[in-house]
Amino acid sequence: MLLRLITWPYVRKHLLRCTLTTAGIVLGVAVFVGMHTANQSVLYAFNRTVDKIAGTTQLQVTAGETGFPEDVLERVQGHPGVGVAAPVIEATVQTGLQGEGNLLVLGVDMTGDRNLRDYELEKADEAIIDDPLVFLAQPDSVIVSEKFCQRNGLKLNDWLTMRTMEGPKQFTIRGVMQGDGLASAYGGNLAIMDIYAAQMVFGRGRTFDRIDLSVAEGQQVDRVQKSLQAMLGPGLQVDPPSSRGQQFEAMAKIYSMSANISSLFALFIGLFLIYNTFSIAVTQRRGEIGILRALGATQGQVKRLFLLESGIAGLLGSLAGLGFGLLIARGMARYISDFMGEVYGAAQRAEEISADPRLLLTALALGVATSLIAGWIPARNAAAVDPVKALQKGRVQVITEGENRTRRWTALALLALAILCVFFGHRPLFFYSGYLLSVLAALLLTPALCSWLASLLRPFMKLLRPVEGALAADSILQSPRRTSGTVAALSLSVALVIGLGGISKASYETILDWADAALNPDLFVSSSQSVTQRSFRFPASLGAEIQAVGGIDEIQAVRTARIVHEGIPVMLVAGDVQRLAKRVKMRVVEGDPRTMYQLVERGQGVVISDNFALLRHVHKGDVLHIMSPSGRLDLPILGVVVDYSDQQGTILMDRHLFVKHWKDDTINVFRVYLKPGYTQQAVRQELLNRFGQRTRFFVLTNGEIRAFILRITDQWFGLTYVQIFVAVLVAILGIVNTLTVSISDRKRELGVLQAVGGLRSQVRHTIWMEALAIGTLGLLIGYALGAVNLYYILEVTRRDIAGMRLNYRYPFEIALTLIPVMLGAALLSGAGPAEAAVRGSLVEALEYE
Amino acid sequence: MILLTNVTKEFDGKRKVRALAGVNLHIHKGEMVSLVGPSGSGKSTLLNLIGTLDQPTSGQIALDGQVLSGVADDELTRVRRDKIGFIFQFFNLLPSLSCLENVALPLHLRGWKRKEIRERASELLDLVGLSQRKDHLPDELSGGERQRVAIARALSVYPPILLADEPTGNLDTHTGGEILALVRDLHERLGATVLMVTHDRAVAESCPRTVTLRDGLVVDDIARR
Repeated sequence: MLLRLITWPYVRKHLLRCTLTTAGIVLGVAVFVGMHTANQSVLYAFNRTVDKIAGTTQLQVTAGETGFPEDVLERVQGHPGVGVAAPVIEATVQTGLQGEGNLLVLGVDMTGDRNLRDYELEKADEAIIDDPLVFLAQPDSVIVSEKFCQRNGLKLNDWLTMRTMEGPKQFTIRGVMQGDGLASAYGGNLAIMDIYAAQMVFGRGRTFDRIDLSVAEGQQVDRVQKSLQAMLGPGLQVDPPSSRGQQFEAMAKIYSMSANISSLFALFIGLFLIYNTFSIAVTQRRGEIGILRALGATQGQVKRLFLLESGIAGLLGSLAGLGFGLLIARGMARYISDFMGEVYGAAQRAEEISADPRLLLTALALGVATSLIAGWIPARNAAAVDPVKALQKGRVQVITEGENRTRRWTALALLALAILCVFFGHRPLFFYSGYLLSVLAALLLTPALCSWLASLLRPFMKLLRPVEGALAADSILQSPRRTSGTVAALSLSVALVIGLGGISKASYETILDWADAALNPDLFVSSSQSVTQRSFRFPASLGAEIQAVGGIDEIQAVRTARIVHEGIPVMLVAGDVQRLAKRVKMRVVEGDPRTMYQLVERGQGVVISDNFALLRHVHKGDVLHIMSPSGRLDLPILGVVVDYSDQQGTILMDRHLFVKHWKDDTINVFRVYLKPGYTQQAVRQELLNRFGQRTRFFVLTNGEIRAFILRITDQWFGLTYVQIFVAVLVAILGIVNTLTVSISDRKRELGVLQAVGGLRSQVRHTIWMEALAIGTLGLLIGYALGAVNLYYILEVTRRDIAGMRLNYRYPFEIALTLIPVMLGAALLSGAGPAEAAVRGSLVEALEYE
Repeated sequence: MILLTNVTKEFDGKRKVRALAGVNLHIHKGEMVSLVGPSGSGKSTLLNLIGTLDQPTSGQIALDGQVLSGVADDELTRVRRDKIGFIFQFFNLLPSLSCLENVALPLHLRGWKRKEIRERASELLDLVGLSQRKDHLPDELSGGERQRVAIARALSVYPPILLADEPTGNLDTHTGGEILALVRDLHERLGATVLMVTHDRAVAESCPRTVTLRDGLVVDDIARR
């Protein structure tokens, strides 16, 4: 009842302000829901593709990306618990068809595979349906989906060109799949071909990528999994198909972490906006509260009324945030899948958004809880209003010195605790507590800092505009409660921008330093257009042929493959370590560069990247248990170097060791150094002329590789910039909110200003200067808080996100850029309220209480 | 000096309210006039119209021969700034500014030089007997002292017209008497035209001319010697 009689008329009267108040919650919840839903949708799409491709497969035998020898199949098929086991080769190829992008090709053994997968062949030669051997006998046969055919105007027996390891090759469509199963996986961009043909055209040699199997009738899947794993040894993994989703999830975890930090900041900013508005509402509605109390409302009723209001504001804001979040999730999902495709080669376009009810409920709870926390102190203050004083006309509520003092002491105590936490920062609990405490301390100090800084600013503002400047500064000094909430929100935004901008700058610098040191060959010869694509490999013998090309001084053969190490996919780099070390001077963090590479070359250990060491908490001297198809390799860590080839970390081993244990001598990339006097373009052309038509052969220059890395880094920070935009937007809403309130608070004051001869332009200037002053305070406090935030963000990145040891450099350029951005935004925010101030009735303003 | 011809003022709301129903009034230069009438008779509305804080619905107002109808807001503000000084019942001082700054406010708005502003503001505070309180904030003053500061502010450019809306309404009898004496003294010394809204019969009768309003019309206009 109170809600309808008391709250609703107030909300109706201050609709704009109430809407702006919930904006922080809307955006905070939206970022949280948007980012996580996008992540989940990409993961869901990936899992759906895995499920569709898996068919009735119950278990899969894999060895990371490296594949394994054919003889494993016989061992698997010989296991008594296995019903059907079929080998698979999976490769992503370009079709050359306009706008079609990549095609996922499954190489399967048609004789056994149809027990696991239903191809739902719509049109095919009867012979193929009846006897797969006919299909086998024609190695250029492919089966494609009906959707793919329809999109490209293809039909049975048409030719389809694909870029294989034997150069561009024509295949004949001998079957068309239909339905929502296998045929719909990967958006219909799926083709089936014979496994032995696939081995040949994709350069797999005598290896399979994986074995799909179903257990024998009456057997339990988990039991078969265990006994098969024991039989095959640790070098091969036996897992249900769904485990691929878990690995994908591990890669997407970085995005989740980043989304959490941004969402928390946005919610924090929202918290201050709500706190601010409710504090002001309590001040403005003192008369109303006084009447309620005089009419018999208890303190508890008043408190509950305000808490209910903040809860409802939180609920409405959260609901709007959920809607907005789901709306932006689609765009974000597309962005994330593109990024994952570029970096991990594991792209999966999310066709539809899958919203997890648990996530939505969590977001709703977060939004409401934030709002309730924000409304707690104002509600308590409302309950404490003295009805006698509240009903006296013209009395203004001011923050008591006692309240300020308590807040300052609390802030200093929190700061001391935060500093203490730094000393025990190696423990995550202390580290993250320190982060939170330092932010809280800064925010609690904001009102005191605001007053102090505003009094410092006053003489300058007065000098600039004697009346308008002084009034604007005084408005801030007089109402620290009104201003400090916005300044806190603004400084949080600035701190977030400084933190994210700082890490972005540091990352670029660090990655460029690394690229200078590690990516110094003139040319890179790859079997794919992108160096992150590892579907195709060159035979080792190609190295000698490339070396024979004129102008080439040295080539270094490198095999890269993602393997699963302790459940996390990491990058294995196998090369001629001594030769690599001669040309590449990577910064050594642990180990002796004079001896460690020699020992690696002898196969006595590995060198790991710094990010691997940081993320897995390992050091020189520790032993890594690496699973190879031939069994477990126990290799000591001989050194740690700075290397950012992969976000999850890299293990560098000698190629001979890799060939021996993985039984795979293929190559992904040849690093090519030129002799003096030869140009990159000329040698590239020569290489393409010799090998371009014979095999899949791409030559990338040093500049192109660096541009690719910078593009990936840009893409990685792309969503960060969105977060920065959101933070600035929330801050602007905060200023608009504060100024709107400030205008109504100072209605009489501004009326007097006009009554004694102030022109409209002078009133406008007052509001603008107040807006600029709020912006300046937010910037100054935000710069300081940003310095602390940057330290923590760099640490979070080092420990938990990418394991990158980034240098602390305050982003002064970004800080400078923020001046026009924030002050411009502040000025823009002040425009509406300033107009409202000069357009209102002067008589009403002078009578305003 | 002040000429009102058939001035009406209506307020739009759910129900249209007619505050002034066709007022004709002529106040000569240097007169001191009290404006009386029951609540809702239109006294404050009339004062606001003369003070250019509001615009009439119809009719014409002229100050010093200048007709105000159809004049742009900034021009009206300039008229107010140069010709009118306001004294309010609730003082309307800016709480964050010192007494000196409050008095100096209209001068700053006129773009005076700092030195001149300081001299004039000090002179005015001296005139109202508050030179010793110039650095105090309004909250640190008594009601009478605040009204004196408000009067000093109203006089800052020695305007030819002084409008006072219940200047003693928020003061005790003794202080009210002091303020009235001050206004009368300034009127005599500076020669400004004074128009004062009041409920107090004694205050009204102390003025040489009293205009009575009822239901938005002038119903009585008495001149005394």
